[in-house]
Amino acid sequence: MSYVSNHRVPGQLEAKVVRSPYPHARIVAVDAERAGRVPGVVAVLAGADVLSDGRQSPVFGRLRSDQPILAYDRVRYAGEPVALVVGTSLAAVEAARSLVDVQYEVLPHVVDAVEAGTASAPQLHREWPGNGCGEWAMRIGDMGAGWREADIVVEGTYYSPPASHVPMEPHCCVSAWEGERLHVITTTQAPHRVRQDLETIFRLAEGQVRVETFDLGGAFGAKGQTLIEPMAAFASRVTSRPVRIELDREEVFLTIGKHAATVRLSTGARRDGTLVARRIEVVYNAGAYALSSPHASGQGLVRSPGPYRIANVEARSVARYTNTVPTGPFRGAMTSQLAFAYESQMDEIAAALSMDPVAIRRRNLLCDGDVYATGERLHDLHYEQLLNGAASAIEWGENEPASSRGRSRGKGIALIIKTTLTPSRSEARLELQPDGRVTIWCSGVELGQGARETFARMAAAALDMEDGSMLVARPDTDVTPFDSSTSSSRTTASMGAAIAAAAADLRLKLTQMAAVELRVPEASIVHARGAVLVEGQGLPVTYAQIREGVGAPVVGEGHYQSEGGLSTMNPLDVHGTTTVHWHQGAAAAEVEVDRETGRVTVLRCHGGAYAGRAISPHRVRQQNQGSVIFGLGQALMEEVVYRDGVPANPNLAEYMIPSILDVPMVSSQSVESDDPEAEPHGVGEMALPAVAPAIGNAIFAATGVRLRRLPFTAERVLRALRGMDDLEPPVAAPPP
Amino acid sequence: MPLRFVEPATVAEASAILRAEPDSKVISGGTAVVLMLRQRLIDPSILVSLSQIPGLARMSLVDKWLRIGALTSLQDIAEGAESRMYASGLADACGHVGNVRVRNRATIGGNVAEADYASDPPAVLVSLGARVCAETADAPPRHIPAADFFADYYTTTLATDEIVTSVEIPIVTGRRSVYQKFRSRSSEDRPCVGVAASACFNASGLVSALEVVVGAVAATPQRLSPSVTQSVIGSRLGGDVIATIAAEASRAIKPIGDARGSSWYRSQIIEVMVRSALSGLTQ
Repeated sequence: MSYVSNHRVPGQLEAKVVRSPYPHARIVAVDAERAGRVPGVVAVLAGADVLSDGRQSPVFGRLRSDQPILAYDRVRYAGEPVALVVGTSLAAVEAARSLVDVQYEVLPHVVDAVEAGTASAPQLHREWPGNGCGEWAMRIGDMGAGWREADIVVEGTYYSPPASHVPMEPHCCVSAWEGERLHVITTTQAPHRVRQDLETIFRLAEGQVRVETFDLGGAFGAKGQTLIEPMAAFASRVTSRPVRIELDREEVFLTIGKHAATVRLSTGARRDGTLVARRIEVVYNAGAYALSSPHASGQGLVRSPGPYRIANVEARSVARYTNTVPTGPFRGAMTSQLAFAYESQMDEIAAALSMDPVAIRRRNLLCDGDVYATGERLHDLHYEQLLNGAASAIEWGENEPASSRGRSRGKGIALIIKTTLTPSRSEARLELQPDGRVTIWCSGVELGQGARETFARMAAAALDMEDGSMLVARPDTDVTPFDSSTSSSRTTASMGAAIAAAAADLRLKLTQMAAVELRVPEASIVHARGAVLVEGQGLPVTYAQIREGVGAPVVGEGHYQSEGGLSTMNPLDVHGTTTVHWHQGAAAAEVEVDRETGRVTVLRCHGGAYAGRAISPHRVRQQNQGSVIFGLGQALMEEVVYRDGVPANPNLAEYMIPSILDVPMVSSQSVESDDPEAEPHGVGEMALPAVAPAIGNAIFAATGVRLRRLPFTAERVLRALRGMDDLEPPVAAPPP
Repeated sequence: MPLRFVEPATVAEASAILRAEPDSKVISGGTAVVLMLRQRLIDPSILVSLSQIPGLARMSLVDKWLRIGALTSLQDIAEGAESRMYASGLADACGHVGNVRVRNRATIGGNVAEADYASDPPAVLVSLGARVCAETADAPPRHIPAADFFADYYTTTLATDEIVTSVEIPIVTGRRSVYQKFRSRSSEDRPCVGVAASACFNASGLVSALEVVVGAVAATPQRLSPSVTQSVIGSRLGGDVIATIAAEASRAIKPIGDARGSSWYRSQIIEVMVRSALSGLTQ
């Protein structure tokens, strides 16, 4: 394994970012003189320097070009880069960073996305009035008829707070100009996307930017977008030296986070538990800059009804700018916030109808042939198995947990539905080496999920060779072909398809070469164990021997391309094929609640996912376990707290993530297709969005209290047990 | 200014540096100082490491005191035979700090000198009547009762040139001590509330001495007033007595609010945890 943060290049400079202390302010002046005099400092760059150097766009953004490389005119969140100190050592730039004198005129700020939509809210971007950062809607059926059919209507508002991805490895980037070409080595899940973005920003032709990435020490969505690379590239251009930026932990908190969301949900049900109508209103907090939010809020819309057959659905999803850290995909992207709402409410409906939570789900589960709220007819659905697996994992309905003195136990279940990135493209190239091994050239990124081993496994299987004969190249946009990104649980399916196509192409070429060499018809050649055989004849000829005979590289190419998707649709009337396949997941939890302190202990937790054709049952299990542990954090403790518009807990002493001691007994279910040729499904995030609502439902089962705000902190639970109002976000830092 | 790192060989030498360079900071295990440096909460020009000074990492019995050298790691105190025998509450508290990686680095001297309000050991030290031994280049060692040592948030009564060389706990025959920690978030979190309790019992099992100190709820460890703890002397430490003391502790202490819990919440937890700690003393 090698990581970007361990990488150094000769002659490199280090850079550190000066960040805004205010959530919203006008920049009056930046005085870099004192900082510039610190020995070792080579340059102090501010937004004005980007503007005056006309060679690049001062702003960037794939969907909306709204984010300055370095802030000028205005800062829109506390933590926004205002200046960059570049020098020969970290010590020098660290020392100089505090000497950059920035004068601000503070402006009114807004943190909450619902408030940001009100008429009196501060406006972040002149071009986007009302702080709109994405608006989507869809409708199916007849809402009036649906409500009339309902015997009961359950309503609720569910809030998920901002959170941080907390990859173990912070973002790191080394940038260098080589003549008119830009070479960037960076921690990214999407090297070709970063390449395209940098080509746009720096006005370069396609291919003039080279982006490499190494293994990532975790990503979870935090490294899916262009973030620090433009700063590093600009500094490198100005200084004519390679420039390296490595964020520290606090800066990771200030660079990208999870969308907070407020979800209002009303559901009508018949007395027998059949859901007949659902109205959904989602407000995502995009933070100060758009990144993927204008589109991601649409993905949220599609995922918002949940995995149930509901004839009448009306949904609206918006994202709004606020003076908070910009947001991006976060493992279980856009879906966790929704699942928390619809799966909490599912148990509320069950309680209102005195039904069993598993029974009410079983009655409404989406099945093959059902029509979804987008109008799509669904197939390849496996919710029955996922529900049964979740229920049996926690012994639902049997061994009902006894509640002891002061402690109550309960069980809960949740299911989720999720789309995948559509359209998207993956390309792969397989090259036969002289020694008979095969190099897999592709831009899929290893981020700890085992991508490299999965690619090797899939290529080896397609070629009927040993995994150990596969070499997997590191993503490098100069040599590895295009891939949209390693995200959205798409890689095993889409890169897998590209690799399979490339393997078929390689075999075809080997067949043709062998036919010429052996003077036999192509149809008589068969492949087995890395060799070709002529049917009914002598010894096999190995691929290495064919390669030797040809004396030139033998290459197979393949790609995967999906079509359709949201961007082809009217955002306010979404209808049609939104995804190539549907991700399906489940979770179940048993908890113990200490009624005196409110502390929730998760005793066991289960994660299930539909894997299609599983490439590695072991890695499916690991992903489900990872989802459970990751979800535990959002359920019980994770929240970025803003005080006066400033993130107040941007460090791991104050922002808690689960420790190994918090991990319960974890079980995993991998639902697999009966069809050996079925397409593989990604499983990286399927169980995750179900974890928090499963725990919330278990808390309800244990205590009778329903929490509609995450995380389920001990204090929040105790207040609910005492019948008190829900808690405002906690005070963050210790007293001075 | 680049940060200088010095490793004096004696306490006197270290103290002389502190006196000469007001911008210096003592470092032992580094678990607190390094965090504060990284978060830019402190900006010293010299770090004075105590790691090369011999003899500061020993635990020994001196007269009627258990002397724990300032550089003794929290993990060694958690596992040490002497600490478990004479100050089991302190061993418990040290074993609850952070995680084992932190405990292997963090030292008891650093712990008290940092005076973090949200740390486990200080409350126990106060409950055991411990004293902190501080030395300088020239003056004789000064013994500061733990109850007087912690002055405010991250503030002690140490003089600028004083260095903590040991923490000493009086050996009281038959005394029992416990520490109970309540974490409101992860299992590696600092305490939301920590309760240290110690007691002696006479031959008939009646209380002859009692101390209750609540940590992590205010700037300094909060000692329950003797008017409460003395009132139970001669009583059996049973359910009613325990409940009364717990309610009194919750009433008397005005806790702070922070990310680990509001003031209201801590008041509830103080009652629960004092009850639990006192029950622990009877087991």
